[in-house]
This record gives sequence, C-alpha cells and structure tokens, in this order.
Amino acid sequence: MDAKTLSLPISTLDYKQPATVQVGSPVSDVIDIMQAEGFGCILVVDSEQRLAGIITDRDLLVQVCGKRLDPKNVLVEDIMSADPESLRASDPIAFALNLMHLGHFRHVPLCIWDDQHQEFPVGMISTRDILDHVAIFIESQGGGT
Amino acid sequence: MLYDSAIDEELAQMDQDSEISKRVLAASEIYVPLRQLMRDCVTIDIAESTQDAIDLLIDNHIGAASVVEDGILRGIFGERDVLRKIFNKDVGDLTQIPVTQFMKVDPQTAKPHDLLDTAVLYMARGRFRHLPIVDENQHPIGMVSIRDVISYLVDYFPHEVLTLPPNPIRDALKAREGA
Repeated sequence: MDAKTLSLPISTLDYKQPATVQVGSPVSDVIDIMQAEGFGCILVVDSEQRLAGIITDRDLLVQVCGKRLDPKNVLVEDIMSADPESLRASDPIAFALNLMHLGHFRHVPLCIWDDQHQEFPVGMISTRDILDHVAIFIESQGGGT
Repeated sequence: MLYDSAIDEELAQMDQDSEISKRVLAASEIYVPLRQLMRDCVTIDIAESTQDAIDLLIDNHIGAASVVEDGILRGIFGERDVLRKIFNKDVGDLTQIPVTQFMKVDPQTAKPHDLLDTAVLYMARGRFRHLPIVDENQHPIGMVSIRDVISYLVDYFPHEVLTLPPNPIRDALKAREGA
C-alpha cells in the first residue's frame, strides 16, 4: 500500500449504492431500511432526488433512543444532519480519508452535480470500505497470521 | 538574485514533496502492537439495564462498550445492537431489561501485544467495528475500532491526507466561474 493508492479515485473501491428516503418520511422507515439492508446510514433526498441530509445509526441512538422518542412520530428532517459533506466518485481516496478523519464521519455520500450545482447522491463510501481495502492489502502480503 | 533564490527554494520544496509522495506503507509497518492504538475501555456491569447501557454509549460518545461480570469480559453492546435488535421491535421497557438480552456474547477479542494487521482482518472478516482488547485474565483493558485504523493511515500518510484544501479543488474552480 503506497501513497499512490490514496490518489486513486474512490470509484476503485467497492463502494455501495446509497439507500435513500424522502424528506417527510417517519424515522421508523429509516430503521426498516437499515435493518433490512444492513446499512449503518441512509441519505435523505427531496422530491427532486437532491441530497438533503444524512442519518446514521448514531443519530438514531442519540436523537431517538436517548430522548425516548417513538420513531413513528419523528420525521427524518428532525434528526438528519442537513447538507452533509459529499464527494465525487472520481475524487481521490485521500479526500475521503481526510473527511472521515477530520469530520469524524463514518460515511461520506458520493454525488454528481448538475449545472446548477445541485447534488444528487449516487453512492456511499464508508470507513468499512477503507478497512476492507487495507485488509485485502494485508492478505496479499501474507499478514494477519 | 531574489528571483533565483525563490526558484531554488521552490525546487527544493518540490523535491521534498516528491520524496514524501513516494512513501510506501510496508506490511511490516502494520505490525504495530494494539497497545499503541487502543483507546480507554468503557465497561458496563452485566447486571445493568439496557437503557443504562444506551445512556452510557451516548454520554461517553462511544459506539460500543464492554459488558463485564466481576471485571471479566462477557459481551459487547453497541449502537448496531440497538439498531438491529431494539428499534421498531416491541421489546418492552428498556429500563427493566438487562443488557445481556441484547449484547453480543463472547465477542472476538485481541491481546495488547497482538498486531494491527490481525485486528484489521478480524474486523473485516467478522464485519464488526469494535474489537475489545483484554489481558491474560480476560479483563478488558482497551478498545480498537475501525476509526483507529483510519487514524493510523492518516498518521502514516499525513502529507497525502492532511494537506488537502478544506474543500475539494472543484469548489475553488466553481468560485471562479463567471470571472
């Protein structure tokens, strides 16, 4: 693993398609999707499919469980982090590491932008994707024995 | 003369940057012992309620805690357990349900002298985020998470990761549009 690896585009990693819910959905819908798909994070989009926010399992723990709220009675916009930091799939892996480290993010949305600078989510890169990449490198070197 | 000096200085800096960018993380350098990376261990007693365990995760800003009985590790309880086993399920009053009902029993552990590469493979193959570090008597003494792996990479490649502009370059280009 070398410095060049970090300059490769994020698209070289096995990043995921994003799970999304619309603004106005109850948080219970988010939980259903996360449980069914095994995701730790979901993106909130508006009616035009533009990125509006992000909800992680940490948000659910703190904002819903910690406040003893019923997820059926809470809307996604009430607990989401609005306007999250995002990247392009063509950005270097170093950009993702930078955001994850400095922002303490586990997940970073990958988006495309139209000519009005509106962003539309197309993927999700997570700290687990980075870990898996390191694990592949270690296995290729015969480590971890 | 001043101009020549500035050029020389710039070329020297470029040479230095070029050297740094060739940095390679050798497999041997992932052989760092976990005691150097682990964070303090937050524990909860096995008799505590699930709500107390949840409050512990929130108050300590952690994703998982070690569940102990007489100081010995019996399980691990984290935010993933809350998501998968508690939310949207009619589990009852969490203040009356022991954390043992939802914790992962006998989790994978590592020793402080085990190496980072072992921890990475444990977490990648087991699909978990947190790895309790225990002593020879199974007393939890630390925790290593995926975040610590990310921090290690950033510490190893600070030039590549930390010297980026605060926003990606495209934002700078965007600002020039119309000029």
